[in-house]
Amino acid sequence: MTRALDGIRVIDLTVWFQGPVAAQYLADFGADVIKVERPQGGDQARGVRSIKSLEIGDWNQYFLVINRNKKSMALDLKTEGGREIMYRLVAESDVFLSNLAPAMLDAWGLSYDKLKEIKPDIIYATNTGYGRLGGVTKPSFDMTVQALTGIMARLGEPGEPPIYLGMGSGDAYGGIMSALGIALALYQRKRTGRGQCLDASLYGAQLFLAAPFLQSYLAGDSSAALQQSRKQVDNPLWNLYPTTGKWVYLCEPNEDARWAALCRAFGDTQLAADARFADAAGRRQHNEALIEVIEAHCLRHDHTGLMAAFEREGLVASPVNNLADVIRDEQAWRNNYFMKTFCEEVQREVEVRGLPISLSKTPGEIRSLGPQLGQDTELVMMELLGYEWDEIEALKAKGAIP
Amino acid sequence: MSRPLDDVVVIDLTRLFCASLGATFLADFGARVLRLEPLPLAPREGGGEGVWNHDADLIHRNKESIALDVQSEQGRALLHALVAKADVVLTDWTAPELEALGIDYPAASVLRPDIVFGRLSGFGPLGPDSELPPIDELAAARTGMMPILPQPGQPPVYTGAGAMHSSVMLAFGVVTALLHRAVSGEGQAVDVSLFGANMYGAALDLQAFLAIGKGDRLLNPISRLDVSNPMSGALYPSADGRWVTLTMPDTDRWWPMFSAAVGIAEDDPRFDTHDKRTETHRLELIHALEAAFVTQPGKHWRQVFSEKGMSADIIERFDYPASDPQALINRYIVELEHPSFGAVKSLGFPIFMSEGTARLDALAPCSGQHTSQIMRDLLGYSEDDIHACRSAGVVA
Repeated sequence: MTRALDGIRVIDLTVWFQGPVAAQYLADFGADVIKVERPQGGDQARGVRSIKSLEIGDWNQYFLVINRNKKSMALDLKTEGGREIMYRLVAESDVFLSNLAPAMLDAWGLSYDKLKEIKPDIIYATNTGYGRLGGVTKPSFDMTVQALTGIMARLGEPGEPPIYLGMGSGDAYGGIMSALGIALALYQRKRTGRGQCLDASLYGAQLFLAAPFLQSYLAGDSSAALQQSRKQVDNPLWNLYPTTGKWVYLCEPNEDARWAALCRAFGDTQLAADARFADAAGRRQHNEALIEVIEAHCLRHDHTGLMAAFEREGLVASPVNNLADVIRDEQAWRNNYFMKTFCEEVQREVEVRGLPISLSKTPGEIRSLGPQLGQDTELVMMELLGYEWDEIEALKAKGAIP
Repeated sequence: MSRPLDDVVVIDLTRLFCASLGATFLADFGARVLRLEPLPLAPREGGGEGVWNHDADLIHRNKESIALDVQSEQGRALLHALVAKADVVLTDWTAPELEALGIDYPAASVLRPDIVFGRLSGFGPLGPDSELPPIDELAAARTGMMPILPQPGQPPVYTGAGAMHSSVMLAFGVVTALLHRAVSGEGQAVDVSLFGANMYGAALDLQAFLAIGKGDRLLNPISRLDVSNPMSGALYPSADGRWVTLTMPDTDRWWPMFSAAVGIAEDDPRFDTHDKRTETHRLELIHALEAAFVTQPGKHWRQVFSEKGMSADIIERFDYPASDPQALINRYIVELEHPSFGAVKSLGFPIFMSEGTARLDALAPCSGQHTSQIMRDLLGYSEDDIHACRSAGVVA
């Protein structure tokens, strides 16, 4: 099968989530991604089970899914020998990607200036925490960065604690942003023959996670920064409502015809005649009262009954599903948003997040889940980098590779 | 200065904020993005007399505008001529709409065989719900995360982040397809949906449930006083009500400095191993931290975290990034001189590129601002032809 990124080699010197997921997008579309890890323990995400921050099943779904389709080399970059192997790898690669601290990369002789000497058209991509300028170097994990963007503080009912968008939510966003930057640089290089350095920071990306609201705030709408109650939304027809089962998200514009349809769905002719709600302005003005009325009606049904009534009237709505629903959702499977693949760790087929971006002629694919630490070190050294076996033995003896 | 997409012409047929923003990312990095505004013009959302249309100046910056009556025969011929000249179509219009206009992917690829056709849908191109409208709230409701984001007993939470994922996925998919085209000469269809994008926004919890297949803690909200690791993913109120958040999952590494900062003895026998902190005495530690953080204001904690280089911070509102020098110097937020509204701030550019710096050449165009220019330069119309189209109401 033809792959969009055939022939592109990527050095993936990343840990945890944002960097690995950026490289995953490239690997899914056929890039030859070589993950370079420290020999002792490798990427910290291999040890995620012990940190107890996330439920892990009998296979490490955290690490294995975002590192799928990759090779792994174990190199000790603190040794001269490890660096020499890395330099030879750089000479054979198109992209160098890292989310390690820039100071650490400099200390290991892996700055852009250095790598550019070895491979002038290298694309050198970083994921800093807070941007390459400005000197902020504090630790950057998804939630601590999300905390600074203002996105958490505006979610939830007023007075409730701020809301985190979900494990890895901001990292995943930083990852696709980084993949976009790399694809742009590859495209530019095809035309100009020139490489470059680029950065997609976690903070910079996450500021776009709430783009419509932050942009409103910047334009002077200070309420965009604050928690808004669902009991006070301007348009009661576009709102969340409880039923005796699941909540339902009703998504209708504040228009007379849609209001009439909603009254029909509730079978409430009196409500349709209520002068307060007769036009859009009235429904906006009496929004709190209207929300209470709609809520009372919704609570007379479970979500199945309510959805059936809504569907009869052509009202746009969805039950608010949980994760047990989505993993059975036919729509997700039909579009390859979920896929099955073999897992070496447990020797069986497992279910994984699939391909959210489909390219009709060069679709992505899952060839393998994440590699074992260092499984390709020797093979890559011999086949790609031209090392002889005795040189490899010597580098082992010096501790450059395990 | 050269930019990555200098040689790329994009036809922008979008209505949604997120799809328009996807096209903006291409425009920022050099693509010539022609935004088609169908006649008769719909009233513009946002803005209004004397109010800055801040959305348009973000999601349509660096674009050109052509206003066209696509329902007329001549208008449709113009649309087809545009597609024939384009490298990329980027759209969130429905499949039936595109088909009726003769510019769905099969038809567009007859007009322009190597076209890259990027489309955002609600729920993906296949399956029983492929025709549902592209509304992010519907997609988020289907994705399964909304019930578990808030504290127990609270309503589900809609974040809007899924739509923002879709913007970047669309841009990435299109550029990846352009890379393939540059090698093979072959165009293709690129599909992204709000549903798929929401699922990737929910990356880890969703994948965890997929792998485990059960788990109350993935189906029901977890109280902040019951988090599985008291030092990671936790929220604690400080003395002035500002919230503290910690991400120090590897508690062994952080405990010596962290315990000192919060006034717990490092060798406190209740908490002196990772297992005790995250298993046997987990709830006790959460309560001890709750009691510790509330003794000092947020400012104090930020200073402590900063001095010790700890992975922890205070939860901020939008005023923080709006005045953060770090956001300005990296151009994540930019100050610009608006011709009507003077100095304003806008979201800027999330990606830095040394050889292809993102541009801000123009704010959002007026509807039809570039109609004549596009017809002349790109389609080779004479002034008389353009005038005739205008008089006939085909373009504006």
